[in-house]
Amino acid sequence: MKTIKQISLWVVAAAFMAVVPTRGNAQAVSRTYFNVDWQFNAPMGDSYADKASGWGMNFEGGYYVMPQLAIGAYIAYHTNNKYIDRQTLALSSSSALTTDQQHSLFQLPFGALAKYRFTTGGVFEPYMTVKMGANYSRMSSYMQAWELYHDTWGFAVSPEIGISIFPSPNYRYGLHLAMYYNYTTNKSKVLTYELDGRNNLGFRVGVSF
Amino acid sequence: MKKLIPILFVVAAITACQKEPSLSELDDDYVVFTDYDKSASFGDYLTYYMPDSVLLITDSEKATYWTNDEADYILETFAENMAARGFMPADSKEDADLGLQVSYVEDVRYFINYPNNNWWWGYPGYWGPGYWGPYWSYWYYPYPVVYSYSVNSFLTELVDLTDQTGTSKRLPVLWSSYMAGLQSSSPRVNQNLVIRAIDQAFVQSPYLTRQ
Repeated sequence: MKTIKQISLWVVAAAFMAVVPTRGNAQAVSRTYFNVDWQFNAPMGDSYADKASGWGMNFEGGYYVMPQLAIGAYIAYHTNNKYIDRQTLALSSSSALTTDQQHSLFQLPFGALAKYRFTTGGVFEPYMTVKMGANYSRMSSYMQAWELYHDTWGFAVSPEIGISIFPSPNYRYGLHLAMYYNYTTNKSKVLTYELDGRNNLGFRVGVSF
Repeated sequence: MKKLIPILFVVAAITACQKEPSLSELDDDYVVFTDYDKSASFGDYLTYYMPDSVLLITDSEKATYWTNDEADYILETFAENMAARGFMPADSKEDADLGLQVSYVEDVRYFINYPNNNWWWGYPGYWGPGYWGPYWSYWYYPYPVVYSYSVNSFLTELVDLTDQTGTSKRLPVLWSSYMAGLQSSSPRVNQNLVIRAIDQAFVQSPYLTRQ
């Protein structure tokens, strides 16, 4: 947890430091961009913790190597939880466990991205992005005073479409809206529950600068 | 004002990192875990003996027990379930085929120096094999034990007292249960939770029967 917080802190701090020197000279920042977003995420394809939630954020930054093409890095995190009613689980051929549970699925993908914007210099800047990298995930089950969990690493890929809206094109602060799909290869098991991969669909709302 | 935007996001990032689920949504009933020796034939046993007290495992180095009113409802619930499964109480442990021992973990601080899995065996006053007769020198689980210790939990073990003719002095644990949960401020509620947990331990152990 502490590591995650530190990572988030450094990403935002780096973004902030990068944009501060550009105040008063909008042209100087035209090649760099940053997005900081709140996100709403819904896991798909499994029922372990498939309750959609808004407990996550996304941070990304990039550099336009061509007027419309940028490369950069991103990091995001999200948690989805779900209550499981009391039931008896056969843990093995001889053992059984009766309990209710709170399932939790935490995901933290990060890596590199390629972004293509369809227009430049206007109020509206629609784009598409492909992100690839690693994904850290914790699959947890909370029972009374215990947490059983399995931490795993996997490969992550995420296409995204969105739009940045700059009310004043010469001033690089604007609104950011995006929709994304995210797939990761993490495999994990807790009690009798197994997850082979993660599928997520969601949207992001934040700022671009 | 503009400078505040990244700062606000930093604050949001820190506070909205991994969101733990609300544990208040969990019900009050105990977590109940059971396991048994699959090679055991419970139909071969008729009688059992259960001590008239519950061992308290606390941070004290002196063995203490619940007796009378404190333990009666617990032991009675076990006795009712054993009777429902066809087992009869024996007058003495010497006459019994099975031994049923119940312990309550009130505090685990005492056990920080017991790194082995079956940490409760080292507790002063714990139902050692010698309690069940001079023949037994040590005991064993024929199956892996996966208990996690915690406060406010019950440990129950059903041991086989019949095999006193062989050379092995190992006292086998045929069935075990582990029940744990948070304590309520109401003694009445706690009592009901414990009774329900014991009943559940038998419900999820249909093999534990003479039929």
